[in-house]
Amino acid sequence: MNRDKNLPLTETVYYILLALLEPAHGYLIMQKVEELSAGQVRMAAGTLYGAVENLLKQKFIMPVHSEDSRRKVYVITDGGREILRQDYERMRHMLDMTSTIMG
Amino acid sequence: MKKMKFFTNFDHEEQWLNEMARQGYVLVGKSIAYEFVHTQPEETNFRIDYRSFTSRRDFEDYKALFEDSGWIHVAGTKSSGSQYFKRTGAQGSEDIFSDVDSKAARYKRISDMWLSLACCFIPLFAVLISTDAIDVTAFIKPKLLYYTPGLWDMSGGHFWRAFLFETPFAFLRGFTWLLIPAMILIYAIFAYKAKKQYEKTQQLR
Repeated sequence: MNRDKNLPLTETVYYILLALLEPAHGYLIMQKVEELSAGQVRMAAGTLYGAVENLLKQKFIMPVHSEDSRRKVYVITDGGREILRQDYERMRHMLDMTSTIMG
Repeated sequence: MKKMKFFTNFDHEEQWLNEMARQGYVLVGKSIAYEFVHTQPEETNFRIDYRSFTSRRDFEDYKALFEDSGWIHVAGTKSSGSQYFKRTGAQGSEDIFSDVDSKAARYKRISDMWLSLACCFIPLFAVLISTDAIDVTAFIKPKLLYYTPGLWDMSGGHFWRAFLFETPFAFLRGFTWLLIPAMILIYAIFAYKAKKQYEKTQQLR
């Protein structure tokens, strides 16, 4: 099977992509990630900035028009949605197999 | 108060800034020297990131993100590289990085910067060599660097006055080019040290 080389996504990247199904700026992404992960993933500013930079480079997210003059707003791209879906399928398969075997 | 100091290790630099604040000197800016204001001794948490920006908009967005998460930007410009942050309150994180990879990545960025600076001087050095601008015989016969007519036939005070007067010029004439390989070497050493620190930080996982 020929799997995308970006898979599996890291936990942080997965949550960032999930958060960016709706447009958000940097700090809002951090808050959403913390909320979505039930407080498990707490990102610091420098780490988030680098992660956003990488995702932009990979074209999984893109900047969109922002009302705020200082803060840039990002949203997931079609490519980002696709990789998110593939990683979801991957994990779902793991969960299915686990529950089949372990009951 | 201004203070000159040079660091190749961000962790040591952060510790030093916190130590200064404990003695009542809080960082307020940095150009070539660190700028401190003298206040009450305080417990601070300074952190340093290394980034340069192409647009002012990107730089503003970057600073806004840190401010939103409880870090005030105290020093650094759009293209200065080192960006100094001070924690404003108890909310938010202890550090500006929450994983080892991103904490190490700043050493990778500064290492790349030193390396590209070193590489900038290589073509210049190559030009000097290929145009025979470097006279290696000056090492063996430094006398040739002195142009004062009849200098070596003079004697006593007359000789010394003329000799000492010309020495700085002779030195510049003969050895200025050494600055270029010296810079290449120094920048390469900094690049190497930062690279080592990058690898060391990554291993903290």
